[in-house]
Amino acid sequence: MNKKHILHLYWRAGFGLLPKQLDNLSGKSKEEVVEELFLKSAKITPLHISTSSIDIFSKDALDESRDLRLEYNKLNASLMKNYSHRWMDRLVNTNETLREKMTLFWANHFSAKNGRIKYVKNFNNTLRKHALGDFRKFVKAISKDAVMIQFLNLHQNNKSKPNENFARELMELFTLGVGHYSELDVKECARAFSGYKNNFEGEFVFSTYQHDKGMKTFLGEKGAFEGDQIIDIILKQKQCARFICEKIYGYFVNENINNSHIHLMTEVFYKDYNIENLMRYVFKSDWFYNKENIGVKIKSPIELLVGMCRVIPLRFNKTEELIKIQTILNQRLLYPPDVAGWKGGKNWINTNSILVRVKLPSMILERESFTIQPKGNFTDQFKLVYVKNKYQEKLNVSVDWKTYKKQVKKIASNDLLFALVLCEINLGTQNYLKTLGKLTKKKNLAKIMSLPEYQMC
Amino acid sequence: MDRRKFLKNSALASSVFFVPSFLKAFENVDLSSYGYNKLVVIQLSGGNDGLNTIVPYRNDLYYKARPKIAIAKNEVIKLNDEVGLHKKLLPLKRLYDQGDLSIINNVGYPSPNRSHSRSSAIWHTASDSNKHLQSGWIGRYLDVYGKYAHQAIEIDDNLSIMLKGEVHNGIATRNPSFLYKGLHESNFNKILAYQNSRHLNEHNLGYLYKTMIDAKSSATYLHEKTQNYTSTQNYPTKNPLANQLKTIAQFINSGINTKVYYANLVGFDTHAGQVNTQDRLLDIYANSVAAFVKDLKRNNSFKNTLILTFSEFGRRVKQNAGNGTDHGTANNVFVIGKNLKKQGLYNDLASLSDLDANGDIKYEIDFRTIYATILNKWLKVDDKKILNTSFKHLDFI
Repeated sequence: MNKKHILHLYWRAGFGLLPKQLDNLSGKSKEEVVEELFLKSAKITPLHISTSSIDIFSKDALDESRDLRLEYNKLNASLMKNYSHRWMDRLVNTNETLREKMTLFWANHFSAKNGRIKYVKNFNNTLRKHALGDFRKFVKAISKDAVMIQFLNLHQNNKSKPNENFARELMELFTLGVGHYSELDVKECARAFSGYKNNFEGEFVFSTYQHDKGMKTFLGEKGAFEGDQIIDIILKQKQCARFICEKIYGYFVNENINNSHIHLMTEVFYKDYNIENLMRYVFKSDWFYNKENIGVKIKSPIELLVGMCRVIPLRFNKTEELIKIQTILNQRLLYPPDVAGWKGGKNWINTNSILVRVKLPSMILERESFTIQPKGNFTDQFKLVYVKNKYQEKLNVSVDWKTYKKQVKKIASNDLLFALVLCEINLGTQNYLKTLGKLTKKKNLAKIMSLPEYQMC
Repeated sequence: MDRRKFLKNSALASSVFFVPSFLKAFENVDLSSYGYNKLVVIQLSGGNDGLNTIVPYRNDLYYKARPKIAIAKNEVIKLNDEVGLHKKLLPLKRLYDQGDLSIINNVGYPSPNRSHSRSSAIWHTASDSNKHLQSGWIGRYLDVYGKYAHQAIEIDDNLSIMLKGEVHNGIATRNPSFLYKGLHESNFNKILAYQNSRHLNEHNLGYLYKTMIDAKSSATYLHEKTQNYTSTQNYPTKNPLANQLKTIAQFINSGINTKVYYANLVGFDTHAGQVNTQDRLLDIYANSVAAFVKDLKRNNSFKNTLILTFSEFGRRVKQNAGNGTDHGTANNVFVIGKNLKKQGLYNDLASLSDLDANGDIKYEIDFRTIYATILNKWLKVDDKKILNTSFKHLDFI
């Protein structure tokens, strides 16, 4: 398999490759390389965190005491931060690359959030468990997950007073897309999902008392439907398969949808709604490796950060700082903006975020250069006034340069550049790179990573 | 964006931004050709419950539909014998008394969509409910009448579709000097020094370079123009909207050539436990707007500023089981400014006995007639070029 194609595959199905990893794979066939990705992700390794510090709190005790509730919330908040850091570490260090990349994708598809670590841990592992599995089981599991039940007010959806929030988003954002159902379908769907609750531990509870057992008319079918049956009816619509394929295509292939490719994918997915089969089909398709699909995607902040950490091992010594970086870049793990998730693509980029992205590598790798020394000919034109702000603090990061040096030893400048930058490099930037000397030098890593080209994958 | 438009735009970038003294270009902008009027748009995101904001406190149907969350008669700030303001909107009552507030009721659009993202996109792009536009009404205003990214500023880290045009984009920034400092702290200027417009393409990578160029020129301009101005107005603290409005006042009072500002207050999606949440948010809204208006008046810039407040939809008339309300349709819009033609209540509240099939309020005024009116009468441009349809003009300004 051609090296460019391997890199492309590993950027979309993972977070890139180092020059030596690329060399090791380049002798293999496409079949072998793709199957290896799936083989490595066959196992499901849940992401754990010990919640023993909050397990001692009972629901009754919390209901009674405000102080206890405050303490409980504080412990939850701190565990949430640790969990988000663990997730980041997982993304950087895992060998189950595809499963983790898919988990990240689904976390933005079934976009939901909650402040209770136990719920969030279960939800995160539900996403991981089904990431390459059966989409039908996946949607049903999500509809019974405490984070989703709470986030879309499903627990308040009762026989006498329906709450349509979940019913609407289930169809609009999770399965069919706007325009493929009526307002009546929303109402009937909400009735079918009435009685969905979760207990204090986050387990699903079905309240037959609050469930509307009456007849419903949904997408043309009549019956005394419950939630699972509604999901089955939704999945009967080919539009559901198509909607998911479009979303997967936009994320893994190209944000510009190619209808003939979508048609092919939909035929594959509609058969059994098996996500693994769909992804295998995509990664083995010739069109996946078309030139117009390579290096044209703008990395999400998490892709950018994880990709950097896979090139140069580094550790954020303060979890708060890692979260701050994610927040500045507009993608904080575990906290999607709303039920529609992050929009991605050009939406990651604006005048602010491009500045931070260009600056990020030196913030992390060259802390010493971070006291502001205005350079160049601007000094004589402008009076420089600097106000100390939160972005100028130094980060407490341990950078493992030793391992990096070992990695790039005997690697030519061009080979390093080839492995790190997937898209064609702008002519002006090529000239700029010529001024830097040997690119494998320590001081040049941040410079390569600050290029607009490095933002692409 | 099509290739031809993009290249044309890039050619502009090269001639303006890559000459050594590119900053000079800004000094030549003829403000008078655009007029001095500014527009500030505030979105109450999540769908503010308009019925508990402008309250029909004599209507039994209102109290019947909302046994647990209605605003009690004795808590309403009365505007007339029928209509009152939410109890937290006292600062707005003062604006109302001074004739600086116009309340437009029952604003919406045909075939209402009850999804946040969709309805928000409809308001941002000024599209029909069944059409998906990729550009916002302010973005298209920049396409036709703007020159620079900073002529429309969103006080945030992310640029909303409202400020994205087919060719031009506004910019998003939380702070007037942060962008500028960033230029010097990194490789930013060095990378740009090696570029020229011929290297830009219309794809994502070209977009990154173009954004860098826009960032550099606008960051420099905003920093230069605002650094000598400090506000003396006190704003409410720990208030997310007040911070944004304070920054906008700083921009406006520094005399920069920005035409449109966009601020956003989130959290109005009150499916459960509505009363406390809406109390807190309307308190934040009213107090920050009051401080903002004071600040503008003190600097004699209120007369040139129009403040438009909207929400992507109102909420259902009937409350739900969680003492909240679900997504609804038509809602009220606030217009704040000096010399309003029609002060106070622009029109009557909607009937609560004549609802649509979903039990929602029927819209009376298309929100795009408000946009058309503001574009035409306030920003003094051809609204048809921006909205692509001829909408009726209203007479609130």
